[in-house]
Amino acid sequence: MGTRVAVNQVLRLAVRNATISTLCPRQFGRYYLQSRWCCSSTNQATQHNQDLNPPSGIPVTELSLRSFIDMGFTESQAEQIYESLANVRRGDSAKHILPTLTALFVLGLNPSSVKKCLEKCPELYTIKEAQLQQRISNLRKMGLVEGSLQRVVAHYPRILTVPLKRVKNVVMFLKEKCLFTSQQVTDIIRDCPAVVLENLDQLEYKFQYVYFRMGVKQAEMVKCRLFRYSLDEVRCRHTFLERRGLYETPDKKGQTTIINPSLDSILNVDQDTFLAHVAQASAEEYDVFKRLAAREWQEEELQQGRTEPDSDDEDDDEDVDDDDDIEAKSGYGKRRKK
Amino acid sequence: MALLWDTSLLLRKVKDLRCLTPRRHRVKEKWAATRPKLPPTRLAVHHFDATYSTQLGQLWPSVRLAMLSERKYGALLNNFSHNAVLAELKAQGCIDFISEREREVPSCLEEKSEEPSDVSMKSSDVDGEQLSLSPNIKCLVFPRGDVTRFKPARPDKNSLLGYYLMDAASLLPCLALDVQEGHSVLDLCAAPGGKTLALLQTQAIRFLCINDSSVSRTLRLRKVLHSYVPKQLLTNENLRITSFDGTKWGEIESNTFDRVLVDVPCTTDRHSLMEDDNNIFSKSRTGERRRLPQLQLELLLAGIQAACPGGEILYSTCTLSQNQNLSVVEQAIYQAREKDGIHLQVVDLRPLTRMFGNTFHFAPDLHLGEMVIPHLAANFGPIYMCKLKRLT
Ligand SMILES: C[S@@+](CC[C@H](N)C(=O)[O-])C[C@H]1O[C@@H](n2cnc3c(N)ncnc32)[C@H](O)[C@@H]1O
Repeated sequence: MGTRVAVNQVLRLAVRNATISTLCPRQFGRYYLQSRWCCSSTNQATQHNQDLNPPSGIPVTELSLRSFIDMGFTESQAEQIYESLANVRRGDSAKHILPTLTALFVLGLNPSSVKKCLEKCPELYTIKEAQLQQRISNLRKMGLVEGSLQRVVAHYPRILTVPLKRVKNVVMFLKEKCLFTSQQVTDIIRDCPAVVLENLDQLEYKFQYVYFRMGVKQAEMVKCRLFRYSLDEVRCRHTFLERRGLYETPDKKGQTTIINPSLDSILNVDQDTFLAHVAQASAEEYDVFKRLAAREWQEEELQQGRTEPDSDDEDDDEDVDDDDDIEAKSGYGKRRKK
Repeated sequence: MALLWDTSLLLRKVKDLRCLTPRRHRVKEKWAATRPKLPPTRLAVHHFDATYSTQLGQLWPSVRLAMLSERKYGALLNNFSHNAVLAELKAQGCIDFISEREREVPSCLEEKSEEPSDVSMKSSDVDGEQLSLSPNIKCLVFPRGDVTRFKPARPDKNSLLGYYLMDAASLLPCLALDVQEGHSVLDLCAAPGGKTLALLQTQAIRFLCINDSSVSRTLRLRKVLHSYVPKQLLTNENLRITSFDGTKWGEIESNTFDRVLVDVPCTTDRHSLMEDDNNIFSKSRTGERRRLPQLQLELLLAGIQAACPGGEILYSTCTLSQNQNLSVVEQAIYQAREKDGIHLQVVDLRPLTRMFGNTFHFAPDLHLGEMVIPHLAANFGPIYMCKLKRLT
């Protein structure tokens, strides 16, 4: 069934349910009951009993398995949606499901994409219609054109659960703190929508890391979809290269004594390719390195949290250790004193 | 709605991360400006990049990576302590790399490829002579690739510590020195005393001369010895601790010792890469750094003079630098013959590299001595060593 048909079906259903529910509750009850018959649930008997007397709180916009099939979902898809709906129902009502489905179909997603969205993000079942519309139109306003918008939603449906204010904050942050252009921000949201939920301090740190330590400019960050990767993924590969002598931080004039590999060749390849072609290292080395680096960074953070640096610079010139051994007692402190 | 609450909660939680992010990384100005222009560690990297990339070729990136990452330690077991540390450490997964060599690198394979017909300088030693390792030197390490750290050693009921943490590769010079029952031994540059302690573990030495020109470091060495060795073994009959300039040793006490360990001051490559404090690459120490090879040569020559004819001298450093390693030994061999009339033979250390090839990475194709090069999976070294035997 084509998307348009599905949309029509959903809309029709929405209208009809609304009418039925207001005009003739009893009739709706029968409709509801009838639909449950079609349900191929395993424990029909018990369910049947419950269904005979639906509790009064039950939402008026109940949908049947049939109605999902009518929308264009296959039988098994319909069943799955139906079941997950039943799970969500407990808390809030599933009264938002119809507008959500409508919105997704109107966007142009086909039934199987819609189902995947719901699967990836069950919160969609409970979003208010007005909010949903606001969020979608905000994404449009940000310049996500048709096609992009669909892809973003299909790939990252959670974006529809993020409050408008939060999205706007992130956009502001990217523009003002990181100096991305509007178009670049649009591209970032399109390629790395999860960025809207990232902690801004961490985002800033990641940006600064790549900008200052790696000397990569905004345009390249966008092109390489930097924000798809976590800080640790980025700095793990970068630090590995840096320690091997294969990556240099550019000086003030932007110059390096070696040619740095591109951000793209560092990030957008699998580990084997990265090791073989960029780092020219063995998997064993990288494996050990990852474990060491994780520990180093963890300790760095702890240390920074505990003491402020830059203040302990008294010099003890004579009694210092400049050789390869340490005493057992002194343990592993980075700065060995006395 | 639940989701949104979750998010804001999460956000509030990670807000505090800001104080965890390294200060210098937080704001742009700071990021760029905190580091001094060229700290000694940077100067050291530049220097090593220039010299070692030619010296080590394709191996350099791996060695560089290892030296810039956390090193591994070995726990030299203290036989004088009554703690049951050996079993304890083994339970943690450690192995004694000296006694538990899985399988030696088959010597026949190596020999075939390397020794066609002519007898090189290296194989001048009596053929087939195996190194006799002291059974009393035990050193525990975590296996290859395992980055677990040791806990600080604890004192036993006599307040002697159970083990001493040191670069496991630093034990190779001690093993190579091959101390025998009744020997008199000179440790010319001994502080802070790791190798001294290993030598004492053999319990074979009749008299041990411990020297280091630095008074403060000698004091530290004394402290180390007192934390590890029972008082009754630290008597004037057994050992002597001095703070002389080692280069003058030949004038003080020549033709005396069965074994001499010359573990010279050097550019301590690892330290120079990692710590700005007390770094020999700082501008103010340039002169001292340039004079190192000369000092090393003088120390080695003094050590050679201090050994008795037939005695053996082991020269070692913790640098990869050719100028401080092979060149110094070459010069010393030459000058000992020319100036002092002392003839020396280079002792083949390949039996040692064969024995420990599973624990350490050794530099290939060194024409004089052997060198442990750091590798991330076995992050020990660098240690260079060369053994000489006095023929006259
Ligand atoms: C590499 S460290 C020795 C480490 C020691 N062997 C160990 O295993 O713990 C070099 C030592 O040489 C000492 N030294 C420097 N110049 C010296 C000299 N002229 N005579 C004797 N010792 C000297 C330094 O004080 C330093 O302690």
